[in-house]
Amino acid sequence: MRATRHGGVLETEALIIGGGATGTGVMRDLALRGIHCILIDRRDLNAGASGGNHGLLHSGARYAVGDPDTAAECRREGDILKAVAPECIDACGGLFVAVEGDDPEYAERFSEHCRTAGIECTTVTPAEARELEPCLSEKVFAAYRVPDATVDPFRITLENVNHAQQLTQSLFLAHTELERFVVDDGTVRSAICRDTRTGETITIRARQVVNAAGAWAMRVARLAGCSGVELLYSKGTLIISNARIGRRVINRLRRPGDGDILVPGGTVSLLGTTSETVQSLDDVHPTVAEVDRLVAEGVAMVPQIAHTRFIRAFSGVRPLLMAAGADADGRKASRGFSLFDHESDGLANFATVAGGKLTTFRLMAEKTGDLVARRLGNSEPCKTASTPLPSADAIRWTEPGFAPRYWAARREPGDLIVCECEMVPASAIDSIVENAPGADSQMSLNAIAVRSRVGKGTCQGAFCSLRLTSHLYDRQVYDSPAGLRHTRDFVAQRFKGVAPVAWGEHLPQLELAEALHCGLLGLDHLAEDT
Amino acid sequence: METASQTASRTIDFKAAARELLPPGASYDACLSCGLCSAGCPASGLEGMDPRRFIRMAMLDMNEELSTTAWIWTCTQCQRCKYICPMSIDVSVLVGLARGAWPSEKKPRGIVRSCEAQLRFPGTSAMGLQEEDFVEAVEEGVTAVRRQSDRFARLEAPIDKQGAYFFVNQNSREPATEPEEMGPLWKIFEYVGADWTYSSKGWAAENFCMFTGDDEAWRRMVEQRVDAVNHLGCKVWLNTECGHSFYTLWKGVERFGLKADFEAGSLVSYYARWIREGRLPVNAEWNTQGIKFTVQDPCQLVRKSLGDTMADDLRFVARTLVGEANFIDMAPSRSANYCCGGGGGFLQAGMKELRWAYGKRKFDQIATTQADYVLTPCHNCHSQIEDLGQHFQGHYRVVHLWTLICLSLGILGADERKYLGPDLARLGL
Repeated sequence: MRATRHGGVLETEALIIGGGATGTGVMRDLALRGIHCILIDRRDLNAGASGGNHGLLHSGARYAVGDPDTAAECRREGDILKAVAPECIDACGGLFVAVEGDDPEYAERFSEHCRTAGIECTTVTPAEARELEPCLSEKVFAAYRVPDATVDPFRITLENVNHAQQLTQSLFLAHTELERFVVDDGTVRSAICRDTRTGETITIRARQVVNAAGAWAMRVARLAGCSGVELLYSKGTLIISNARIGRRVINRLRRPGDGDILVPGGTVSLLGTTSETVQSLDDVHPTVAEVDRLVAEGVAMVPQIAHTRFIRAFSGVRPLLMAAGADADGRKASRGFSLFDHESDGLANFATVAGGKLTTFRLMAEKTGDLVARRLGNSEPCKTASTPLPSADAIRWTEPGFAPRYWAARREPGDLIVCECEMVPASAIDSIVENAPGADSQMSLNAIAVRSRVGKGTCQGAFCSLRLTSHLYDRQVYDSPAGLRHTRDFVAQRFKGVAPVAWGEHLPQLELAEALHCGLLGLDHLAEDT
Repeated sequence: METASQTASRTIDFKAAARELLPPGASYDACLSCGLCSAGCPASGLEGMDPRRFIRMAMLDMNEELSTTAWIWTCTQCQRCKYICPMSIDVSVLVGLARGAWPSEKKPRGIVRSCEAQLRFPGTSAMGLQEEDFVEAVEEGVTAVRRQSDRFARLEAPIDKQGAYFFVNQNSREPATEPEEMGPLWKIFEYVGADWTYSSKGWAAENFCMFTGDDEAWRRMVEQRVDAVNHLGCKVWLNTECGHSFYTLWKGVERFGLKADFEAGSLVSYYARWIREGRLPVNAEWNTQGIKFTVQDPCQLVRKSLGDTMADDLRFVARTLVGEANFIDMAPSRSANYCCGGGGGFLQAGMKELRWAYGKRKFDQIATTQADYVLTPCHNCHSQIEDLGQHFQGHYRVVHLWTLICLSLGILGADERKYLGPDLARLGL
């Protein structure tokens, strides 16, 4: 089935709301069953928690003590993803380390809990641990090896969407915000949406509607008149180092707390994570206090963090399910997920999938897919556990370190490097603008950045923003002063993340960026209508 | 040290090495990725590389690529990148490290052979000149100069004179291939009444061992020369018109913690001093034709060693010699001047096309000045700039300072004018 558009009306079998790992996972799950979908997101892919995380593919060990069910689920799902999407995963392994002052009893019980959850866990001596990871503190007194891995959350959502597009010509619409549902006779008839860039109204008629809006799932459910989806918003902040620290994921062996996990992200490392319950989803941004806490705690595991150059901080909101009677502590809330069929709300074609983790997104999508397929009378089984995720030219560029390797292998002098920090060539930009999921006319710098490493390196967009803008004008992707507003929006977005880590070696970078963007180009005085 | 059987480059952890070898705050971690280094690097674009890319690749853990790229032999380690970098990051240090990690048989033969030659005989000549050849060339040269005129009938070029004030080194090129170029320098010493000596040991003014990236060989070379100067008890080791031979000793003494009982001096500073003191009464009266001159700032002498003080001395000497109106500076100049592409062993490395591509920037700089002559107080600059002129069909000639000094003093012999054009071939004879 093709999506048909008559005067701003689109038709599909399944409308999915939310372009995160779960929503895109549902899209692919359904497409593998032959179902046409339209996926919408008010911003873009990975705009919520799927972009604001440390990219950890949990072995499950982190939850072994407090949440054994989630732990076992993580282990199983991790193994599946390693098999079907190896290109998105760095099976770097992980270490759990206890340092002086940590509870020795907790450390001792750890391996037993891992065994119970079926997670491979090997005891190593502190000396062996430091040999594996020379950056570790000399104060480590207990250490275990676990099969933690990292996953590129951007690439996996791009692959999901790309595959669904190939399979059933499903559609992804970025910057498309749900305004209201038209509900009639126990059925959601259509979703009235607005293109936030053009202001145009788009009506989507779908036989089934899936709410996979992550932290926004409660809002979306309420728009459909459903009040049973109760989420706790737990804000988490992470910081990114200028270069990779350590080979493996390094976890602090204690009850989860701030600054207790250092995750490699290809060429960089991410130190996380804070946890703070917030009431609102608006204006979630990292603060200096959070960064200070992360660094202060991280130093106990990895002393060099005290003088590491961090280039950016970012925050995500974990959408945690609030169980009946649960307290409002984000750390203690379940990492499990729930699928709401909303039949008790009197709706026959609306479902919400909420909670869960990046690691378990496929399972969440499978359960949701089963429900939606059954409702559509489709009897195809779920195929995501065994069908490899195909890659494509336009969706390879989010992996840290891929572009430089690609460049080094080709050495094509005519292929100008646009982003020098991450060595992203012009050919990558061209392929993204042409073919990446969500590519559209006048594609924004932010959208290109979601699909590549542009702006993610040392300069944090100071230079590449200008080079990329010029390239887009050269290629006539931009043909009006509106392109400059994309530049401004992009650097403003980067600035939000850079400001809380502006000290030491990174401070001159910020000063230089300000001189370029404000002093030289006056991006802060751009007229809205030019 | 590498062994002969090593066939692949040792892979270096460049990120870790940068943290270890560069000062805090000026390591690769401090890079702003601004690209000022690359914009000002004549090696940018060669082999698809540039200094910023080198830093970024190190930070991205691309150690294998950096350990094998031939770009490190096109970087002359001139430190223009460090000079212009807002964070003072020195890329050349890790280029040196990478050079050292290449297996000897894969390094450019010319550089390796020159270093081997230096280590073979006590004279430390890269051209393999032995003690007796050097002594003979000097003696024959002295005889020739004495014959030129009565003024220099008693000219001396002492060798191994214990306790002389200046220990003067000598680039091998002159005794080996153009001995007549030594005469002007000796005349200048005679003119100012300098108390000087050559040495039969450690006399040579070239050091390719540093450019092979073999620190141990560099150290041995400097040790031999320092010992030779200490042995003769000279106060000043006076480096001839040469860049890297100054830097390798001056820096080597510090780097290897050697005991040197003398000061390192550059001949150019002494020219300036002698002119200021009235002992070298040169002027530009000879330049009645308004012949135009520019100067090259040898990286190793100016940017890497003595800085703008040296560049100022150089300009003072040049302006006095050719006349204010006839001196045209390059842009950029002094410590910010570009490397000509003759340094770093590039001239000896046999990579002509790359060397010319590198030197194009220097050629254009010179062409813009429209100078008739380029003064180069450095042998590698001299050879490279002359070669660039031939390759790109420039209209300039390249001369040493000693030639113009003697020309101005009216004591330049007829056979000492190899590098002068027809305009000056007979002047003052």
